[in-house]
Amino acid sequence: MPDHEMPYSAGRPEDGPEKSRGPAVRPDGAVLAAGLDGEPSARPMVDISLVIPVFDEEENLPVLHAEIVEHVGGMGCSWEVIYVDDRSRDHSFQVLLDLREKDEHVRIVRFRRNFGQTPAMSAGFEHSRGRVVVTLDADLQNDPKDIPALVAKLDEGFDIVVGWRKNRQDGLMLRKVPSKIANRMIARISGATVHDTGCTLKAFRRELIDNLAIYGEQHRFLPVLSLASGARIAELVVNHRPRIHGVSKYGIGRAARVALDLLTMKMLSSFAKSPLPYFTMLSLPFVAIPILYFAVGFLGADSISFTTRWAQTVIVTLGLTSMAGVYFLLLGLLAELVVKLNMRSDRPMTSPHPSERVAPDHDAPLGPQEAAF
Amino acid sequence: MKGELETPNPVPLAVAPSDPTGEERLIPVPDITIVFPVQTHKAEIEQVLDALGGGLEALGFTWECILVFDGIKGDLWRRATEIQARTRDQVRTIALHKSFGETVCLSSAFEHSRGGLILTTPAYVQVDPQDLSKLLSAIDDGADFVASWRMPRVDSKLNQFQSFAFNWVVRKVVGATFHDLNSTLRIMRREVLEQVTIYGNMYRYLPAVAYRQGFRVDEVKVRHLSEWGGASVFGLGLYLRRALDVLGLMFLARFTHKPLRFFGTLGGIFLLLGFLLSGSQVARWAFAGEGYGLFQRPFFLIGVLLGVLGAQIIGFGLVGEIIVFTQAKNVREYRIERIYE
Repeated sequence: MPDHEMPYSAGRPEDGPEKSRGPAVRPDGAVLAAGLDGEPSARPMVDISLVIPVFDEEENLPVLHAEIVEHVGGMGCSWEVIYVDDRSRDHSFQVLLDLREKDEHVRIVRFRRNFGQTPAMSAGFEHSRGRVVVTLDADLQNDPKDIPALVAKLDEGFDIVVGWRKNRQDGLMLRKVPSKIANRMIARISGATVHDTGCTLKAFRRELIDNLAIYGEQHRFLPVLSLASGARIAELVVNHRPRIHGVSKYGIGRAARVALDLLTMKMLSSFAKSPLPYFTMLSLPFVAIPILYFAVGFLGADSISFTTRWAQTVIVTLGLTSMAGVYFLLLGLLAELVVKLNMRSDRPMTSPHPSERVAPDHDAPLGPQEAAF
Repeated sequence: MKGELETPNPVPLAVAPSDPTGEERLIPVPDITIVFPVQTHKAEIEQVLDALGGGLEALGFTWECILVFDGIKGDLWRRATEIQARTRDQVRTIALHKSFGETVCLSSAFEHSRGGLILTTPAYVQVDPQDLSKLLSAIDDGADFVASWRMPRVDSKLNQFQSFAFNWVVRKVVGATFHDLNSTLRIMRREVLEQVTIYGNMYRYLPAVAYRQGFRVDEVKVRHLSEWGGASVFGLGLYLRRALDVLGLMFLARFTHKPLRFFGTLGGIFLLLGFLLSGSQVARWAFAGEGYGLFQRPFFLIGVLLGVLGAQIIGFGLVGEIIVFTQAKNVREYRIERIYE
């Protein structure tokens, strides 16, 4: 099994960043070893890949696919659509097989069990071969009619274009308000000034897709992660339609989880490359206060005497908390070690200048995300 | 240890073909590979081979067997090589330099196995070989992994109780219905071992791990014939090891990709506890007028200590997150059944 070949060996600096990209770098060859999947480089690239996670959407799929054929098929470029069946409990899989019978653009990735939306997207990314990857929901709330516009926007020189459901067709209290708050928070904390990170309709350039690795529930933070890997981000107002068939798979219960994920995300996207300063910052109050206290005490300030009972309490307390500070410093060193052992941190996304595409003005100064709004 | 350094080692390392001329003597690819970890000199090789081999042949399956000697040498090894010669490599032998445990036995045997199904067996005839048909019909039914459940059991009530408690805990932690993880007569499809990376002491928990990866795991009741050893209260170390296994299993099953949730919750509890404890002491010191200084209140200091502990635990969670984040491309959290091009 090619299970343990170092996936990052291709990403070492001497190889140049070019080689580290591309789906040829595949971790965990387990599935490949089972002969379920061809060598990716052997497959021809296409212009556009659609990645669609599917979970219990049997009624929506035929309609969705017809719309995709109409709007994406009408763009005059090569395309494919990857439906990732997250082990639907209804007949979605049979519906997908039927679609595949009729349309050779359809590819289906079927999970062994239900793993969730982020893994589904991640699997779709990995098995996509488009120069542009577009993600959308299978619930028909996203409109495939918007895809040509998204791709056109991408061709203006952006790496990721995020849909903005300006006119959202969902319940107000349960979906819209929490989403608004979440987006505000994400924007405030992450600095990714996108109105609507939760919109699944997004377009990515291949180079960015190959640089992203999402897990857990990070599909929500794709714009944040993209920004962290140096992508140029834009957004575009897209159509949003009310749900006709099936039920939403989300409730309001996820708010707390999202908030925690958000903080984690923030920490990771800004500190995972060099964690020591971050941990030092965390340790600072624990270490600085005792040092300050003792310094003032030794300097002989009248207000602090080391002999009173009060002072003894303070000394013991501060001694204990300073332990935590030392701990954080050591953990920071450990984290630094982990990061340095991994090549990923040294491998920024090479900015994908679309040489063969018409790209009028993408050499504009950095920070085009501001320019986009 | 000494066998490792001294040369020449009398025990060959890998599959030892009984014919040194290298002539191809292996039987055609069999249906089933029996993997037999030999971990004690008491292992009843002949009886097990008779029972399982006979049982499989009666059902019309062809088989091969790989005996993995887990650091065991001596008379048993000699007998095994004789069997290998006699059966013209239908039964083959692998020797490990020292004892590595059942998991390594299984993975090294798997490398040399050829059957589409892998059958693992305990070192003696523990369950009725007649019941192989039940296990195999579950495979026919579409299961990827079939575990056996000794029912009713013939060993002591004490053993049964310990086993029940152990399996109950694992069931709760993994969220699947296993009743007898200690019964190692199991049949699995080849692809299970191809896709599940096993390490450490996962051998025992293989059904649970396979289940977590999305394979269909069935459990079949088999007749319990005999059990080695009488009623025994095992050493404290063993219970501790099992508890740690379960803890690790739970951590990996639920928090592999979100260590901060685990450490954060744990650390948060300590932090809160410490805050409440020391806070209440401060409050009493300030308002109750009991006349004791804070320094004379041990609970204040314990509270501060707990808080420090909580902060440290959260720090571990942060490091965990960083590890997962930097390794995100290496760890794939989904398993694909098939890609339809």
